[in-house]
Amino acid sequence: MTVPLGAFVAVSAVLFFIGTAGVLVRRNAVVILMCVELMLNAANLALVAFSRRFASIDERGSVFVIFIFVVAAAEVAVGLAIVLSAYRNRPTVDVDEIRQLRG
Amino acid sequence: MPVGPFGIDPVVWAPLRLVIAVLLVVGLVFNGALAQIYLERKIQAIIQDRLGPLHTGPWGLLQTLADAIKLLGKEDIRARLTDKWFFLAAPAIVFSPMLASYVVIPFAPSIVGADLNVGLLYLTTLGSMTVLGIVIAGWASNNKYSLIGGLRSAGQLISYEVPQILSLVTVVLVVGTLSMVGIANSQPGWQMNFLVLPLAFVTYFIAGLAETNRNPFDLPEAESELVAGFLTEYSGMRWAMFFLAEYGEVTVVASIVTTLWFGAWHGPLVEVLPLLGVLWFTLKTYFFVLVFMWIRATLPRLRIDQLMSLCWKVLIPLTLINLTVTGVLLLAFPSTLLPVAIANWILLAAFVLALPFFQRRRLVALRERLRAAAA
Amino acid sequence: MFDFIEPAVFALLTIAIVAGGAGVVLANRITTSALLMAFTFLNVAAMFVLLGAETIAMFQVLIYVGAITVLILYGVMFTPQSPRPYGLFFQTQKWWAAAFVAPIAIFVALVAFAFRDSASAGAKGGDLVPLATSVFRDFAFPFEVASVLLLAAMVGAIVLVKRDED
Repeated sequence: MTVPLGAFVAVSAVLFFIGTAGVLVRRNAVVILMCVELMLNAANLALVAFSRRFASIDERGSVFVIFIFVVAAAEVAVGLAIVLSAYRNRPTVDVDEIRQLRG
Repeated sequence: MPVGPFGIDPVVWAPLRLVIAVLLVVGLVFNGALAQIYLERKIQAIIQDRLGPLHTGPWGLLQTLADAIKLLGKEDIRARLTDKWFFLAAPAIVFSPMLASYVVIPFAPSIVGADLNVGLLYLTTLGSMTVLGIVIAGWASNNKYSLIGGLRSAGQLISYEVPQILSLVTVVLVVGTLSMVGIANSQPGWQMNFLVLPLAFVTYFIAGLAETNRNPFDLPEAESELVAGFLTEYSGMRWAMFFLAEYGEVTVVASIVTTLWFGAWHGPLVEVLPLLGVLWFTLKTYFFVLVFMWIRATLPRLRIDQLMSLCWKVLIPLTLINLTVTGVLLLAFPSTLLPVAIANWILLAAFVLALPFFQRRRLVALRERLRAAAA
Repeated sequence: MFDFIEPAVFALLTIAIVAGGAGVVLANRITTSALLMAFTFLNVAAMFVLLGAETIAMFQVLIYVGAITVLILYGVMFTPQSPRPYGLFFQTQKWWAAAFVAPIAIFVALVAFAFRDSASAGAKGGDLVPLATSVFRDFAFPFEVASVLLLAAMVGAIVLVKRDED
């Protein structure tokens, strides 16, 4: 018996919302970036699951996943660069303290 | 499902075959590492005009066994403030991808673990997982020098993945398949890919030296630098795991070179007796392992900034040009490989002949700068 | 006889993914979060293999575990903070976040089960050749834009982190 598509989408949804909760709750900027990566992974999982459902049509789901890989890598690089520059200013990565645009 | 030998039931034979294969590969890796450690000491000794291990066993053959017994018996020291689980996990994270790489290597026409049709991509992926183990090892040792050594090594490894992958992609462009078995089959007889793509071979060899942390790129783990880098706090069997991983990775890189450029198991009489392919494959692979050791005994070590500028300023433009030229020529002349071969040999000759020219210019500029600074 | 393998592997991977994700959010130490994130990535790659998209699974390991995890570990190591052994214990926001996220998550997960059909063939991400043909032929323009994006990200990251050397 094969696993129904809904189960994969449910796992993807749970992972996505765990990532959302992490972004909302954690104060360390690097951990927030990690949770954003979890959310992107959840999206990838849902896309590949649907790509299996529509495998008889074409492979656009998997192609989209490749582009999401690219975007995630670029986003982590630039995000970490921003976090490191902020750290250089004041030695903290606590997002509650990096909230004033001056200094 | 296939019936096993002696008529064993298929349900029993399938997992039993897996267990036997894993034990064979583990035995291959450990014995290969033992042989390589002995060879390395002897060859380095002979090149350095001394004799190497002599006393333990005839010609010092049992030296590695004695070393292994010593390492197994050493006390397992672990500094108190290290992260316990990461410290223990790091050797495993470095060792496992190397062991998993042996699955796709074609030893003989029918002896291959799994004929993945993306075998080369699989090997690249496993190579990139080693970086994680090294960063964790540097971090978990709770030692500033280990941390710096680990981060330097990680930077070196991820930088040199780029020319490595670009060289592999050039070969895939010519051959047309990522499967290792397919690449091995595409070089019948004496028509090895080396004759068509020598520049890719040279750049992959250099990048492979850097990927396995071998001399001249072994700054992170060198004995005279940074107190042995990320390996400082590891002693006894844990240190041995790192070194087994390194020798295993050297064998994997040599196997990839053999498969891609030198016709993996092809050799005289291999159509008559397919099992002879294992002999040819082993001979070719160990030839390249000996070249690795020869380079180690001969060349001085590169500094980290020299290493990085070699990668980003020399190897990456070279591999990109190689890839572009190969791609364009393959499109222009789809039926023959001769233009690609000619272009590659010309590029290789240009690279080798242009080196002294660039070196001289850099030396002159350096001398000018030093003279200006002293004046 | 081997019918139960796929649901069993799926259940194991689900538990691993959800536990890993929860560990990333709840862990006290940031290095534990980073490594549990790598663990989650590996399990998502295994889920891709279960779905039949082996090539996408290998790209996932290569890019996420091989590169993004190393980047995040660099970020962790270059921004050392005083250790906080109490973690989320004194956070007052966590109940608000849980109250906001949990109902939506449960609702979406239940709605997801409305997708009842399951295909028997594997996902189209298994073979490299149709995937590559699609990327380089039908989606050539997004591919070029993606390479410009990566170039811009690389240059931007270097410029942002460069120290002004006098």
